[in-house]
Amino acid sequence: MGRLISRTLSRTLLALLLLVALAPILWTILSAFKKLRDIVTPVPKFVFTPTLENFATILLNPSIRDGLYNSVVVVGVSVFVGALLGVPAAFGLARLPARAKGEMQFFVLSLRFMPPVAIAIPFIVIYLDLGIYDTLLGLILVYLVTTVSTVIWLSVPAFERVPREIEEAAAMEGCSLGEIFLRFSLPIAAPSLFGALVFTFVLVWNELLLALTLAAENGTLPVVAASITSLGKEVPWGVINAATVILVLPPLVFIGLLMGFINRMVAPGRK
Amino acid sequence: MQPRRFIFWTLAPAFGLLAALALISIAGALYFSVMDRSLRYPDYDFVGLYNFERLFGDRRFLNALKISALWEIITVAGSLLVAVLLSVFLFENTRSATARNLICLAFLAPVLLPRVAAAFIWRFLYSPTLGLINYVCELVGLGQVEFLASPSLALFSVAAVDIWQWGLFFTVILLKLLETLPKEPIEAAQLDNARTWEIHAYVTLPMLRAPIISLALVKAVESLRSFDLIFVMTGGGPGTATETLDLYAYQMGINLGGRVSYASAMSILLLLITIVIFTLVWRGIRKWAA
Amino acid sequence: MANIKCTNIRKSYGSVTVIEDLNLDIPDHEFVVFLGPSGCGKSTMLRMIAGLEEISGGTVEIGERDVTRLPPGARGVAMVFQSYALYPHMSVYDNIAFGLRRQKVAETEIAARVKQVSGLLGLEQLLERKPRNLSGGQQQRVAMARAMIKTPKLFLFDEPLSNLDAKLREKLRTEIRRIHLDLKTTTIFVTHDQLEAMTIADRIVLMKAGAIEQQGTPSEIFDRPATRFVADFIGSPAMNFRDCTVANRGEVVELSSGSLHLEVPAADFEPLADGTIVEVGLRPSKMDVAGDGAHNAITGRVVLVENMGSEGQVVVDVDGRDMSLVTKAFRSLSSGSPVTFAIDADSIHLFSKRTGRSLRKAA
Repeated sequence: MGRLISRTLSRTLLALLLLVALAPILWTILSAFKKLRDIVTPVPKFVFTPTLENFATILLNPSIRDGLYNSVVVVGVSVFVGALLGVPAAFGLARLPARAKGEMQFFVLSLRFMPPVAIAIPFIVIYLDLGIYDTLLGLILVYLVTTVSTVIWLSVPAFERVPREIEEAAAMEGCSLGEIFLRFSLPIAAPSLFGALVFTFVLVWNELLLALTLAAENGTLPVVAASITSLGKEVPWGVINAATVILVLPPLVFIGLLMGFINRMVAPGRK
Repeated sequence: MQPRRFIFWTLAPAFGLLAALALISIAGALYFSVMDRSLRYPDYDFVGLYNFERLFGDRRFLNALKISALWEIITVAGSLLVAVLLSVFLFENTRSATARNLICLAFLAPVLLPRVAAAFIWRFLYSPTLGLINYVCELVGLGQVEFLASPSLALFSVAAVDIWQWGLFFTVILLKLLETLPKEPIEAAQLDNARTWEIHAYVTLPMLRAPIISLALVKAVESLRSFDLIFVMTGGGPGTATETLDLYAYQMGINLGGRVSYASAMSILLLLITIVIFTLVWRGIRKWAA
Repeated sequence: MANIKCTNIRKSYGSVTVIEDLNLDIPDHEFVVFLGPSGCGKSTMLRMIAGLEEISGGTVEIGERDVTRLPPGARGVAMVFQSYALYPHMSVYDNIAFGLRRQKVAETEIAARVKQVSGLLGLEQLLERKPRNLSGGQQQRVAMARAMIKTPKLFLFDEPLSNLDAKLREKLRTEIRRIHLDLKTTTIFVTHDQLEAMTIADRIVLMKAGAIEQQGTPSEIFDRPATRFVADFIGSPAMNFRDCTVANRGEVVELSSGSLHLEVPAADFEPLADGTIVEVGLRPSKMDVAGDGAHNAITGRVVLVENMGSEGQVVVDVDGRDMSLVTKAFRSLSSGSPVTFAIDADSIHLFSKRTGRSLRKAA
């Protein structure tokens, strides 16, 4: 009997936890399909006539479309370049002697300590002087700090997990280090590397401060979304919710990948 | 030797770029911090440490310093506490792998949300007249709570969102780590008649000390970048009740008249404090965990 | 096919020198085992010959060609690793064929040679599989096939069997030996397992702390250990050691310690002064139960008897200290009973207390 009670209790608690985790997101998605008069009610409405109005408003709004375009370009290019520079660097780093490796890794990590404002403010002035303020190029350049360092940081363990003996076996067959990297280490580490890239993507896709300060007019999606609040006189909650849903979708697509990435990262090292 | 050259060329571009960008921003911030440059006027002069002197007399700056420290403590401690409690709870109360994986997926969703989106979601939930939470509050007789408009509550309300994202994320990581622990010490403790909570308090969690510390460090670093969340939810308000350093620097340097030099001085100080504290903490922890 | 010549090899990591002034000659076709406790430098030596580890000083020649500065791929050697090191993203066929493809061998010839090698190792049915779908023993066979197909001048094995269970280890050991009899390729095999070394080697190179302690055929190493270290390292159960006092009795040297009195021919050993303390080594397998009047008899009380099937290990208390022997006649013994056993003078080893070197004159 006592067991039954404690079981029911733990089941209820589990359900409650799931509710706390997911309800906010689900409620927002639900509300994105509501007309404003279904939202502004004293008692929350679960049954209503769904409408696509909000999404129509959003997608027909040119600034959102521009934001989406800017986001795709900026995030795409900076993650791509980040991978191009960061992945080989992580491979090189993984083969350095422990001490040099530790120090260079700490440098990479310490970049993350830099408050974004400390990066943003000098760059505003420099960009104004160079004439690349409010351009995608300028934003991409600053994002490279994030993408390159994050890719390096997350890829070093991936390369360290490639068994050393496999690389040595390849060397015994006459492969140069470059070939070993391209034909062995890269494909073997690929699943973890992909996770690192996804994580990096999510990080810059979600970034607001730098985009807000360095490219206010050519803003990315978060900047545009953050500015919707002031669209009309009344707070357009339906539209905001719809915008939120659009903003949320791309990162959520990767949730399964993130899970696999965590599983690999916590798994015990090479056997 | 040829392999050394290859390694050099894998490292050079990435580290060259990172060093250059880091150097530019730090040198730039240092340079502007001793000038009186503002975006409104094209010319500027050297003013020495004037900006720094003014900062220490600036009550809004000191307030921002306090809010930042408070924010760090609440979010780091909150996320870890939530993660430890929930991961142990899930570890003990879910048996089937599928159920556990589904819960993990659900717990990962919040951290993937863009901060801007999370901010909007919770602003909507917190809303006094039409928010879901206030509706529940009224049902249980608490009346309408001004989560974001009350100066004493606003910081905690925003921090709750941060903990919602990171605490649940860390829960998943800790749960996965608990699963990877060897079974023998736990079984030995069971044979010693230890209660469930004792097993975790004295056996499993101490075994996970090193990863928990790294999580705390990661969270401390990430909590420094909470501009987006606070900016969208409260904009630093009500008054300056939730105005952290980066928010204040942003307001000064960009929003209000672009006092670039003053904001630069502020970000230099912010950088210094961060580096000093993190270096100390980093070393202390290394010694302690070793 | 080639002989190996290592001259004045030195290896240091920064200021730490792990191998100093090591010289080694391996004639063509020989199967040599590097044996020693972990950390003795045997794997480092192998990896320097392979080219995976930089050589700090000295030269390595393979088939009269100085390869000291050559990259591993250019040395004409093939290696089998402890963890097999198969390429996980390639099929078994591609794993085996990879080296030949790099040498731009025609695809038809590759197919023929893969067929031949995989036939030799019983891998025909597995060629399309990925390494992760193979058992440990199968993976090790693929690794061997990958090394063999290149027809290298020199085979290197780095503890290839230590990840396998005892039964499989024995089977593959025989297989490796048989392949060597067929191909006659010069082979260096690293292991820390002395039994494995004894059974597989033409010649054992026994290493300790970065230097060669002794080299010789398995029976030389077993019957004529050059140092106390070698005597102790080889053989299971381990050799019994007693400190004994020397007394010269003309033709013979008497060695005594408590109730223990042994006699060895003086001519076999370096001259020893009366009263010198030497360390006497007695191999358990060279002793057997004997009558009271037997020459070099030792008397004690049985402590315990371990049944090993056809033989038994008997631990005997002699003057309050354990001494083991291995005998077929163990069934008549039980703990507590007195026992007398004897050893042939030719199997008694004497080691200097100061240097640890054997005091037996070279034959």
